Amino acid sequence: MRNKLAVVLAGAGLMLAVAPIRAHHAFAAEFDEKRPLKLKGVVTRWELVNPHSWIHLDVKGADGKVTPWMVEGGSPNSLFRNGFTKESLPEGTEILVEGYQAKDGANRAVGANLTYAKDGKRLFMGGSAPGAGGDSK
Amino acid sequence: MQIQLGKAQGRLGNWLLVAMAGTALLSLSVIPSPAQAPYKAPKTKDGKPNLNGIWQAMNEANWDIRPHGASQGPVYSLGAAYSVPAGLGVVEGGEIPYKPEAAAKQKQNYTDRLKLDPEIKCYMGGVPRSTYMPYPFQIIQGASNIMIAYEFAGAVRVVNMGAPTKAPADSWMGWSNGKWEGDSLVIDVTSLNDQTWFDRAGNWHSDALHVVERYTPIGPDALQYEATIDDPKVFTRQWKISMPLYRRLEKNAQLLEYKCVEFSEEVLYGHLRKQPLKGDSK
Amino acid sequence: MRRHLLSSTIVLVAGSLAPLSAQAPVTAKPAPAAKAWTMPRTPDGKPDLQGVYSNATTVPVARPAYLGAKEFYTDEADKVASAAAAPGRGGRGAAAAPARAAAAADPEGAGLAVHYDTSQFGLGGPTVKRAASLRTSIITGPEGRVPALTPEAAKAAADRRAFQQEHQWDSAQTRPIAERCITWGFEGPPMMPVGYNSTLQIVQGQGYVGIVQEMIHDTRVIPTDGRAHGPASIRPWMGDSVGHWEGDTLVVETVNFEPRTPFQQNPFSDAAKVTERFTRVDADTVQYQFTVDDAKTWVKPFSGEYNMVHIDGAVYEYACHEGNYGMANNLSGARATEKK
Repeated sequence: MRNKLAVVLAGAGLMLAVAPIRAHHAFAAEFDEKRPLKLKGVVTRWELVNPHSWIHLDVKGADGKVTPWMVEGGSPNSLFRNGFTKESLPEGTEILVEGYQAKDGANRAVGANLTYAKDGKRLFMGGSAPGAGGDSK
Repeated sequence: MQIQLGKAQGRLGNWLLVAMAGTALLSLSVIPSPAQAPYKAPKTKDGKPNLNGIWQAMNEANWDIRPHGASQGPVYSLGAAYSVPAGLGVVEGGEIPYKPEAAAKQKQNYTDRLKLDPEIKCYMGGVPRSTYMPYPFQIIQGASNIMIAYEFAGAVRVVNMGAPTKAPADSWMGWSNGKWEGDSLVIDVTSLNDQTWFDRAGNWHSDALHVVERYTPIGPDALQYEATIDDPKVFTRQWKISMPLYRRLEKNAQLLEYKCVEFSEEVLYGHLRKQPLKGDSK
Repeated sequence: MRRHLLSSTIVLVAGSLAPLSAQAPVTAKPAPAAKAWTMPRTPDGKPDLQGVYSNATTVPVARPAYLGAKEFYTDEADKVASAAAAPGRGGRGAAAAPARAAAAADPEGAGLAVHYDTSQFGLGGPTVKRAASLRTSIITGPEGRVPALTPEAAKAAADRRAFQQEHQWDSAQTRPIAERCITWGFEGPPMMPVGYNSTLQIVQGQGYVGIVQEMIHDTRVIPTDGRAHGPASIRPWMGDSVGHWEGDTLVVETVNFEPRTPFQQNPFSDAAKVTERFTRVDADTVQYQFTVDDAKTWVKPFSGEYNMVHIDGAVYEYACHEGNYGMANNLSGARATEKK
């Protein structure tokens, strides 16, 4: 049956055309593979910018002291195309971050794996249900 | 007004006729203001006012949208080449209705403008500032979308002319939904971020900014541009700017690329160099 | 006669990491549309190319060497079988499929540990719409790859690499053009598919075609009256483009490139000339063909082709420079590392 359904090709078994865009971002210089970390914090702000989005969170230490961190994620544009909006990660959401800390020692990390603290589901497209919010079309 | 020639006959009647004819002639020779006899723009083939073209503002609004006198620029070594010329202002009524704490922030922005002005960093100008930065922009008018391409930092907006849509998040150039009202293109701009300024003088806004623009042809080579500004976090009321935009008439007029990122890198990253640069310029 | 691939059928395969044997059956080569299609036109009678498109693809720029001169797979089954049997780094057979799928799903990281998981952000993953294609490479012809560099260009490339070894962290100006957010290296022209956000929008109005490429928020304004190019002293990063219509095809010629504009890891010289051809082939598809002629850089001209497919929605702003925390962070990290 011929139809004009908009459909997609899965990635399975098929390499993407273009080389990974490593030149754009030398992660090895920004974050330190020898400084892995786990953070648990409360979202204070979700910066939906390019080339990388940033999740700002307040992390409470064992001593009760609260430290602000910022965690690097991916470009948000594909999230928009999948129906996510700025409302999809509200302030106050508690999340877990597994990642690597900045080489210059700042309270900044790349989030290799981001999950909700309450149920362990991955943020965004990584396994949790897509956010409903907004008419992106 | 009926002239009852029968009753007006005779010398008095003639005088009356002459006087009325003279008045009629006089009123014909007065140039109608836009309010009285609006210019009718030629239409595109699909029947819309034709706004295609390369346009540019010609005023001092990018320095300061308020009326202002001449003043010293922030870089002394650039002397008179980069000091502020006087401007009549484009704010209707002359004053921006800041809340008191917002007015204080504008003054601080002004003091720190060399550090803070996003234009210096080659950040996109946002709306409405992109319209009156001293560079041309081009309107490419499709039926369901109108593209407005700006020279500065390659900024661009695509105005949706169909049913309005919503933005998923804020952006530098905002989210534009447009429609026609008579000969005017009316664009509703939402989801602007809080990072842009209105001018080099530190006039600022929050992320609650909502702009409604009107582009109205007033002659074959000019548009009237009006922008209504709403930002309840910063201003006590709505306010408006207004200015003509002029068509670039050069035979080979075109938008030229101004990819200014590399011209802002010393400002932004010079302090992170391995070896500091010698002197003030490369 | 040009062969063009109608992509009126685009294939859905459920699941991103399903093993090959469990995939839903894929349709064979695209067939012509069931009913006659007429070219939509703008009010001035020109073909209407307008719309928002994805030019994402799984077709590689260069043909894998083991395929030799094979320009097209015979059908989807042939494509799948070839990938499974690919020798070398790709891995042999179905065992390598998960690794390749993971690599395909993580276009930016390619498995680098110190990185976010791109699949979490939908980047380059299974929800991206791509035109179906049986091509073995974007570069057309029996070789299917970018030709060799001229000796001068090869030497310049070697000099650049040597310089980078010593100086790559010196300053923003020694970082790659893409990392500086000047241009991504895919905007061209020719416009090339990107690993993610491979989206563009075309708007046409009275004598001009405007193209916005999402990566990285780059706009081309192309006059369609075949006028002369601008002066050679003005060298935009995206060159100086002039278009004209040949029948229902928009032909665009671009010269006067900034001689640092990167293309396939080499900058264009000041003599580079690019010719593009845009042809709408059905309601959802615009065929895109290009030829690069830069005798100072590559020993001969080369051409490529792919289809871009209509998508719903918009191009989203990619304000790269404005959000480029990474530049400051990278340089700061480099300075911190040197201190140790």
